[in-house]
Amino acid sequence: MKQELTDLELIQNVLTGETGQYALLVKRHQRFVFTLALRFAKNREDAEEIAQDCFVKAYKALGSFKQTAKFSTWLYTITYTTAMTFLRKKRLDTSSISDEQIFLQLENHTSAFNANVYEQQNSHAFLNLAINELLPDDATIITLFYKGEQSLEEIGEALNMEPNTIKVKLHRARQRLKEKLQYLLKDEVKELL
Amino acid sequence: MNTIEQQLWDYIDGNLNETQRKSIEEKIESDISVKLQYEELLNLNIAFGEMELDEPSMSFTRNVMEVVALQPAPVSLKTKVDNRIIFSIAAFFVLSILAMLGYIVYNTTFVMPDFSKYFAVNLNVEKVLTPTTLYIFIGVDLILGLIFIDYVLRKKLNHKN
Repeated sequence: MKQELTDLELIQNVLTGETGQYALLVKRHQRFVFTLALRFAKNREDAEEIAQDCFVKAYKALGSFKQTAKFSTWLYTITYTTAMTFLRKKRLDTSSISDEQIFLQLENHTSAFNANVYEQQNSHAFLNLAINELLPDDATIITLFYKGEQSLEEIGEALNMEPNTIKVKLHRARQRLKEKLQYLLKDEVKELL
Repeated sequence: MNTIEQQLWDYIDGNLNETQRKSIEEKIESDISVKLQYEELLNLNIAFGEMELDEPSMSFTRNVMEVVALQPAPVSLKTKVDNRIIFSIAAFFVLSILAMLGYIVYNTTFVMPDFSKYFAVNLNVEKVLTPTTLYIFIGVDLILGLIFIDYVLRKKLNHKN
């Protein structure tokens, strides 16, 4: 049985000219990078654009990647900075939208949210909804901690923060997520958890 | 911030030392409200761990690879600073010094001294070491120095990017 190549082996292959192997790295990390991007962008189109941009940036800078660190941590750093840049740009772009448009957007968002709640009657869907309601930083820390297999030190490295700051932020994020879940699920929260 | 909830989260995450761990275990055992809170957080922790990652569109990898194909292939910074260039510069210096020495020795009117009278070697280098020769030598050194600085700065720039 052929053994799966590690991230570092794939990077070595890409750096020695087998650029096609980068597709394997993309496939391996795309779900996570896309999920992180979605924590910031809140819509799939923008999230895909951010995620694509991240992988292209990572490819361009692959030569400078210190192969003593985890590729995933390095990739999440790129994802975080790219998403933050996107968010800043987006804020500037949307500042000119009229109040009426904002009201329409909010109304649509609420109705879509309600529709989703009734459609996705399972704890995972509720959890994802609650995470989407969090601030991007909180959602990112929660995602990196629970799904990115990242330690507090690694999350700190990716987000350019001290591990202790991450610990406090993680605690607050979990509290907020708990509150969001309680708000979304009301009495069902105890049954689902 | 060191509330009981924070301590319970630290306990669940395995961030406590032996003494702290025993202390919180005792609290869980002795206090029913702490025990209930611990069970709630434990369930939350399990639920958080079960969150699902979103899937990008089917064409995502293809789209990325299409953009990537337009980019120059990445090269490790270790190989970007080619050792051959460094060795070539070193070889040039060594050869030029040897050539100069050879030329000086060849053009010198070397006279074996009379050891009985005095102990001295008469090397006439004034003919060879003219100001023009020195300027050329310094000029070549300067150009090579600039090439080296250019390599170092490029390396730093690539590293930053």
